[in-house]
Amino acid sequence: MTGVAACGLRPYEFHGTVMQSPSPAAPFSLMSNTGQRVSLDDFRGKLVMLYFGYTYCPDVCPATLVEIAGAMDILGEDAERVQVIMISVDPERDTPELLGKYVAHFDPSFLGVTGTPDEIAEVATLYGIYFEKHEGTAASGYLVDHTATTMVLDEEGRLKLLLPFGVTAADMAADLAQLLR
Amino acid sequence: MKRFLLYGFYTLLIVVVGGAFAFKVFQPVQVLPRIRLAPGFALIDQAGERLTNEDLRGQFTLYNFGYTRCGSACDLSNQSMREMQDKLDELALGDIPVTLVTISFDPEYDTPERLQAYAESVGADPARWRFATIADPSLLKYVIGGGFETYYEAQDDGSFAFDPAFVLVDGWGIIRGEYRYQTMASDAERIMRHLEVLADEAINSKGSASVAYEAAHYFLCYAP
Repeated sequence: MTGVAACGLRPYEFHGTVMQSPSPAAPFSLMSNTGQRVSLDDFRGKLVMLYFGYTYCPDVCPATLVEIAGAMDILGEDAERVQVIMISVDPERDTPELLGKYVAHFDPSFLGVTGTPDEIAEVATLYGIYFEKHEGTAASGYLVDHTATTMVLDEEGRLKLLLPFGVTAADMAADLAQLLR
Repeated sequence: MKRFLLYGFYTLLIVVVGGAFAFKVFQPVQVLPRIRLAPGFALIDQAGERLTNEDLRGQFTLYNFGYTRCGSACDLSNQSMREMQDKLDELALGDIPVTLVTISFDPEYDTPERLQAYAESVGADPARWRFATIADPSLLKYVIGGGFETYYEAQDDGSFAFDPAFVLVDGWGIIRGEYRYQTMASDAERIMRHLEVLADEAINSKGSASVAYEAAHYFLCYAP
């Protein structure tokens, strides 16, 4: 393998964990900021970036969404082949309207989706997302601790790549470009 | 010149294809498959402490499922967990911690106090083997039934019908091994071997060596 690498044929190294031979990701049907329920099947043929967050999130969510938006900018026209979806882990406060305004701050093509607390609990559990309310300040209200992993699903709706918190826009764009090849 | 380039191309092709074939046949590196994401959860353990999947990130976790009124139906599974708990120090795992977690599907009866008493009765070391559950039955079903894909169902007499299973999860929260239908003592040997395979990848899959491990995933060079 070293010889292959030395010849410049070294395989691309992703900035997260790649799922080889992935199985279909857990299906869901949730209400989006467009007023329509959306499911993974609606995005067949596109890569889907899934992020679990919430609009009152003070730090981790905006930091991640800024990087994702930056990756879309770097991808240029290819960004049309990627759908970014933020699933709310705060269904009690995040209405579809609020989610729509929030995600539009980062990129107008992003979708924000929510559901009943039970729907959110199920989808979060199945995507390995821990989330739990805890006390915030009087100004922020309660906060929600949550897993900050970003997931990339391939064009067939299979979980392909897990990106940890902190991956830069440039590295995300490089990974997405590799998956779009 | 053209002929020289052609020979060069064919030679390179033979090296690449031959190398890939040799890798597949001889499997110089073996890995465990990345099966799917393990579920997210917030459990309460036998000490009344919160235990989330995020707490277990960066270490290996072996799960099994049961309940304190299980009786002899859980004996083999508990014996295997006990055996692994006692042998963890003998395994080549570097400094990667391993936690054993038994999730009860009987939260109504299995209070932390009862889980504590049960843990003691099966010889669990609380630093290594935790017993936990979730009060909300719907959430519990999403975790065990949905995320871990393990069947259980309450019976009229208060017992549970269930399929015994062990599930091995890596530090990324990805399921790397599922051991079902035969919770025999032999499972413990296989799981411990698999823990060493996981550790080998976590420790050595860095820099240029990561190419070999990714190739092992690509060619499905899975440890038996």
